[in-house]
Amino acid sequence: MSDTAATLTQDRQKLEMAALSAPAVVFTVAMIAFPVVYTIWLGFQTFSSTGKQSFAGLANYSTLISDVEFWHGLWITIALFVLSLVLQLVFGVWLALVLFHAKRLPGIVRSLFISPFMMPPVVAGMMWLVILDPSLGAANYILQSFGLPPSDWLASPTWVIPTIALIDSWQWTPYVALIVLGGLQSLPPSVYEAAQIDGASPFKTFRRITLPLLLPTIVTAAILRSVDLLRFFDIIYITTQGGPGNASNTLNIYGFRVGFEFFNIGYASALMLTLTAIVFGAVLAFNRLRGAVAW
Amino acid sequence: MKARMLATHVALPVFAIAAASAPAHAADFDWMKFKGKTVTFLANNNPVAQALLTYKADFEKLTGMTLKVDAYQEQQMRQRLVTVMNANSDEVDVFMTLPSREGEQFAAAGWYGDLTAMAKNEVAKDYDPNGLSQALLKAATFDGKLTSMPMNIEGPIFYYRTDIFKKCGLEAPKTIKDVEAAAEKIKTCDGAVTPFVSRGLKPAIAYTFSNMLHNIGGTYIASGKSNLCSAKGKEALDTYSRLLRDFGPPGVVNYSFQQISALYRSGRAAMAFESSNELRTVMEGGARLKDTGLLPFPAGEAGQVPTTIGWGMAVSSHSKQPEAAWYFVQWATSPEVQKKMALQGIAPPRPSVAKDPEYRKWIDEEPVRKEWQAALDVLATKGSSEVGYPIVANPESREFIGQAVQDLILKQKPLEQACADADKALDALIARK
Repeated sequence: MSDTAATLTQDRQKLEMAALSAPAVVFTVAMIAFPVVYTIWLGFQTFSSTGKQSFAGLANYSTLISDVEFWHGLWITIALFVLSLVLQLVFGVWLALVLFHAKRLPGIVRSLFISPFMMPPVVAGMMWLVILDPSLGAANYILQSFGLPPSDWLASPTWVIPTIALIDSWQWTPYVALIVLGGLQSLPPSVYEAAQIDGASPFKTFRRITLPLLLPTIVTAAILRSVDLLRFFDIIYITTQGGPGNASNTLNIYGFRVGFEFFNIGYASALMLTLTAIVFGAVLAFNRLRGAVAW
Repeated sequence: MKARMLATHVALPVFAIAAASAPAHAADFDWMKFKGKTVTFLANNNPVAQALLTYKADFEKLTGMTLKVDAYQEQQMRQRLVTVMNANSDEVDVFMTLPSREGEQFAAAGWYGDLTAMAKNEVAKDYDPNGLSQALLKAATFDGKLTSMPMNIEGPIFYYRTDIFKKCGLEAPKTIKDVEAAAEKIKTCDGAVTPFVSRGLKPAIAYTFSNMLHNIGGTYIASGKSNLCSAKGKEALDTYSRLLRDFGPPGVVNYSFQQISALYRSGRAAMAFESSNELRTVMEGGARLKDTGLLPFPAGEAGQVPTTIGWGMAVSSHSKQPEAAWYFVQWATSPEVQKKMALQGIAPPRPSVAKDPEYRKWIDEEPVRKEWQAALDVLATKGSSEVGYPIVANPESREFIGQAVQDLILKQKPLEQACADADKALDALIARK
């Protein structure tokens, strides 16, 4: 076969492969792109209380800037994000170290440690709602049996965000621990042997060797948790529905209510796209950080 | 000539309308007319739908149709409905609706099929559409169109512990002031129980608060403006929030029907102001069967104006088979089915069912059931279905009512500011088209 004929056959094969895979590619792209494009389009529409729709241009976005509830929701979202992320990273690393060093821990105990994140969030939310009920719940009973004052937990505008952060951390710290444990197991043993020969204390070894080497893994865990935390919905909706008052009304909860309870789909779309932009921004920032700490 | 014109232009149309509107088809009515069709029912997974769907097989046997049930919790059901209706989809033929909440909104959006003609013409002999609660039918009629048929009758009623009242030397309260006085006395007489509990969760407050407001003599709107800062409005806000703050359980701002029923059933509340539908839940286990008294909420300056609502069954305006869908609605709201549901504790929206000997026997079995029915009779005769603002954005209006009450319970704002903030936001809602 001549070179030209071989090239033609190769080109034809490529063309055939492209034609065969095109429907799958088009379908996949459409499945990803359509909801996003549709939401962008909805963000430029306005819906009356009766569902009548009309083009609004950027009106939804200008409303957003002057909407006190939007800024409040943004603040609540960020506060919950920071508090939960810090708790989950700190306790996640600690739990990973415990699991890594406690080699003789029975499998069942290890499974128990990491079981909360396997629980459906709705079940977790309902369970904590009962435990934290100020009148009937076990949490206040335990506090009072130690002579401590009871708390209103989810019913207190002051304590609702720390309480939700605690519930989420209870559920997702094991997930962070699992990621960090993977990172710990892949660290080179030679570095530790060198540190041991040099007589480094366990704390110094952790601070100077383990933590810097683990940072890329921790940042990866932070990225994964950030996306979830900024879009946090299920547990809040189950436990407080954004209350008391508006004390736990995150952007996601606010957007949901505007869209599905008040039927203002256009404004809800604008809110959700803004939240999506924030999530993207956070992921990009963490990715940069990940690049900076890579070794 | 004139006589012939009159006959052609006036008498014939009148005759045609009369002929069309007379229930003359009852004799020819055939339940098997739509045999082989499938009707999709979007249901709220509440006790009303649960009781109805116990008899799903009976409907399928009677009509030869298949009933496809799509059941969700209340909020998820609305979410699904909004998606389906906004897409003009015919996926849903029949859906459950609360006319007092979303009636104005759904009617204005054109989501309800018009049942007026079918309720007159396409009825079985024993259906008796006029036997349904006229107040609930009126509440489901928008711009002259009947949009849904009532499935039940319900409203908030007053549950109280007769044993605690006796121990503390109290009589059953007749007025709101009596309720406050009883709460005060129970607080000192029996420190182990919560004196009073009602809804404190923001979106749920309007259901019980509306009864308080109307009993006191307040209105939501006066001269086209929000009226919460009127003297009566402030009195209602102050009384409701004070009862919950000073005599309610800790964390009451997260309380809706589940928490209230659980607290009362466990014997840890002396008075509860909660839905009549909760009787079955409250009586579960039988602990409260012999020590509970039931009343419509005690009177205020305007007497007793209880909140009375009911779930309705509507036919989707996008349904491709509204007649078949109507057959299901008709079966579900027929005297026979409503009697069966009543025996499961679903208060019937038909006075004839409430008087049925079998139902009366069930009622007479327990004194608490008798009081429950007596309270429901008051709801049926004196009730108002106004829960929140009578505007298209009714669901949103409930948020602001709830916010004002929560601001007062949590002492986040003084009364003047809480009502003024709510009025400002509600005026904007009223003005919104």
